[in-house]
Amino acid sequence: MSEQGLRRVAVTGLGAVSSLGTGIEAFTAAVREGRSGITDISSFDSTGFRHTRAGEVHGFRPQDHLERLPAEKWGRSSQFAAAAARLAVRDAGWDTDALSAARAGSAMGTTNGEARAFQELTEQWLAQGIGGIDGDLAARASADRIAAAVNTELGLRGEAQTFGTACSASNYAIGYGFDLIRSGAADVMIAGGADAVNRATHAGFHRLGAIAPDLCRPFDEDRGGIMTAEGGAALVLESWDSAVSRGARIYAEVLGYGLTCDAKHPTQPDRDGIAECIRRAHRDAGVKPDDVDYVCAHGTGTAANDSTEVAAVREVFGDRIPPISSIKSMLGHTMGAASGFGALACCAALYEGFLPPTATVRSVDPALGPDLDCVPGRARPARPRIVENHGFAFGGNNAIVMLGRPE
Amino acid sequence: MSGTTESTAVRITGYGVLSAAGVGGKALYEAVRSGALPLGDDGAQALDGQPAPPGVRLLPVPDFEPREHLGRKGLRALSRTTTLGMVAAELALAGLPEPGRPGERADTGVVLGTSTGSARAFAEFFRESYVAERPYLVSPALFPGLLLNHGASQVAMRHSFTGLNASLAGGQISALSALRYARNALLTGRAARLLTGGVEELSAHTAWAWQRGGALGERPALGEGSAVFVMETADDGTGRAPGGSLAELAACEVAFTPLDEGPHAVAAALARCVEDALRAGGAEPGDIGVVSAGASSGPGWSAVEARGRRRALAGHEPEVLRVQDVLGETYSASGALQLAALLAHWEDGAPAAAGGAADWGLVTSVGHDGSVGAALLRRSSATG
Repeated sequence: MSEQGLRRVAVTGLGAVSSLGTGIEAFTAAVREGRSGITDISSFDSTGFRHTRAGEVHGFRPQDHLERLPAEKWGRSSQFAAAAARLAVRDAGWDTDALSAARAGSAMGTTNGEARAFQELTEQWLAQGIGGIDGDLAARASADRIAAAVNTELGLRGEAQTFGTACSASNYAIGYGFDLIRSGAADVMIAGGADAVNRATHAGFHRLGAIAPDLCRPFDEDRGGIMTAEGGAALVLESWDSAVSRGARIYAEVLGYGLTCDAKHPTQPDRDGIAECIRRAHRDAGVKPDDVDYVCAHGTGTAANDSTEVAAVREVFGDRIPPISSIKSMLGHTMGAASGFGALACCAALYEGFLPPTATVRSVDPALGPDLDCVPGRARPARPRIVENHGFAFGGNNAIVMLGRPE
Repeated sequence: MSGTTESTAVRITGYGVLSAAGVGGKALYEAVRSGALPLGDDGAQALDGQPAPPGVRLLPVPDFEPREHLGRKGLRALSRTTTLGMVAAELALAGLPEPGRPGERADTGVVLGTSTGSARAFAEFFRESYVAERPYLVSPALFPGLLLNHGASQVAMRHSFTGLNASLAGGQISALSALRYARNALLTGRAARLLTGGVEELSAHTAWAWQRGGALGERPALGEGSAVFVMETADDGTGRAPGGSLAELAACEVAFTPLDEGPHAVAAALARCVEDALRAGGAEPGDIGVVSAGASSGPGWSAVEARGRRRALAGHEPEVLRVQDVLGETYSASGALQLAALLAHWEDGAPAAAGGAADWGLVTSVGHDGSVGAALLRRSSATG
C-alpha cells in the first residue's frame, strides 16, 4: 500500500457518559483519582442473582445534553451514544451547522445493541403473549439505531455505521474512522461506542461464573471477575489539517490499528491471536515495541483474560513490558463502549500527562510473572508519547488502536 | 479518475445465496424473473410452534437444513441467523475454483451485515432468565449467540480465518455497509480476501415485531435469507493470475439524512450516493444496464428510492430487478440478496447491449431511519 497522500488523523474532541461522570473533565478526574463507578443494580430487578452490582449510569437525563434527537423515541444505548457524541463535538469546538455541512459521519460500536428494548419486549411477551408486544418499542430494538442516533443528533450526512463486533467494537469503529479520514473519504468522523446494563448480559456472565461479587480487580491474585457496566464514549476524529486550521486542541494522533480473529473458541481469548493483533497494530502505526510507553489493557478482571493478555504482551514486548493498567477497575466492563472508554483515557493521558491506574488491585497475581507494572491505586504522573489501547471480544475478535502525543 | 485501475479494483470471485427461492443464484434469479416461488410451509419451520401474526405473508428459506451443508456436529447452540450466514459462506467458498490455502487464512476475514444478530436467540435468552429457577440459570452455550458478531465469528472458526472479522448493523442497508467496509479494508491492505454479505432470519419474534410496528406496507410480506460474496483485490499478492471474477465492486457509497428533514431529503441523499458511486467507478448514468432495487417495504419508501435513483440517472431508465416484491422484506439481508440477484442475472447470460452499455449494474437501498446506500458493479468480461 502506498503511503503517499495519506492524511494524519487528529483526535480533537472527547465525550463520555459514564458511571464515573458525564463529560470528559468529570471522567478524567475520576480516572486520575481511581474512583469507582460500581453500585447496586437498579436498572432491572436483580432478585435471585448472587452478584448484584454493576457500573450503571445513574440519573442520566438525555435531554440535558441533546439538542435535536427526541430522546423518548430512542433506546438507552442510542441515547448514550448521541449524548456522548454531542459532548465530544462541543468539546472539539465544532459549530453544529459547520459540522453538518462538512463531510462527516459516525462509526459506533456495540455489543448488545438496544438490549434494554429487548428486555422490555421480553417482559411484554411473558405478560401478554408474543402478540402483545409494542410495535413502537420493537422498532427501537435494532442496533443500527446507535449510529443513526449520532447522525440524527448532529445532523451528519455522511455514513452512520454501527459495528456489532462485541467488546472490541469501539476500536473497530475508531479504526474505520481513521481509514476514512486518512484516505480522504471523510473529513470528520465521530467514533466510539455504547451499551446498556441489562438482565441477559448480567445473567450470561453470571452463569459463566465471571461476575465479581464486589469490585472488578484486574491483575489481582484475588480477582473475582468482571462487572457489567454501561455508558457511551465518543471521539471526534478529523484530518490534521482541519484541526490545525480550526485552531483546535489536539488531544492525540491516531497512529494506526490492528485487527485479528482468533478463530478458535467462542468465549476464550487466545494468546497467539492477541499477540498477532499487537504486532499488526505496531506495524500499521510504524512503531516498535520499545516505542510504546503504556498499554490500556482490555483487563476485564477474569483469570482467563489476565493471563492470556499478559502472556500475549510478554510475547511481543519481551523483557521490557510497558506499564499496563485496566480502567475496568473503575468503570466495570462497558461492553461495546469499553475500548471507546479506553481510547478516551488514552487521549486524556497523552494530553494531560499521566498513566491511568488499575484502581482496585491490591496484590498483583504472581502467576502473571515478574515486573508487571499495572499502575495500582491512582494515576501516575508521566509523559507517555505512544500508547496502545486493547479491545478483545467473544468470538475471538481482537482490535488494537495506537495513539500518539500530538507533535 | 477511473476506478478500474488495478489499485482500486475489488473483484467478486464467488457467492452463495439462500432465499425464499431456495438455494443458489439460479433459483433466485428465476424467482425474481417470474415472480414465482417454490411452495413453502408458510413459515412453520421458522415459527417453531409460535403463532403467526395475522395478515403477513411469511417467506422463509424452504426446507432449510443446515446439517446438509455444515455436517451434524456443533449446530445445536447455533441460531438460524448464524447457520444461514454459515451456509451462505459455505456455498460461496464451494464455488471457488481454487479454495483458500492455509497460508492465506491470516489475510482472510469475514464481514457480515446483521442489525440485531438473532432477535429470537436474544429474546429467548432474556426469557430464560425470567422463567428459570434462578435468573442466572441460563444456558451458557447459548450466551455467545446473543451477540451480533456470532455469525461472523462462527464462519471464521469453521475455516480458521484469522483476518479481520467485522459485523455491521445498518437496518435495510446492512449488507451495503458490509460491502463498503470490506471494499475499504481490501483497498487499504487490511485483508486479501473477505467473505462479505448480509443475513436475516425469520422467526415469530421478528414477524410479530414487524406486524405490530406496521412498517411492512400495504401487501405485508416478510422474508429471510443470506448471501455471502468472496471479495478479493485484483492483485492479492500471491501472484495468482486474476481469473474467475464474476464482477467488480467498483464503488459502494452509504450516507444518512436525519428523518426530520423529510422524504425528499432522503431521496436526494440516495441520488448523491449513486452520483458519487458513478464518479468513483468512472461510469455514466447511461452505462447502467440494470438496477437491483431494495424498494424497502415501508409505506412510501419504495417511491423514495425510485425518486433518488431517477434523479441520479438523469432520464436513463435501465431494467429494474424488483427483488423485494418477490422475496418480501429481508431487512439486513436485502442488499446482499439484491446483489446476488444481479450477479445471477448476469450469469443467466442476459445479452450485453451494443457499445458496452449494460455492463454496469447498480444496487440501491433505503432504510427506515434515513440511511441510504448504492453499490456500483461492473460485469466481468469473462462472465458475458
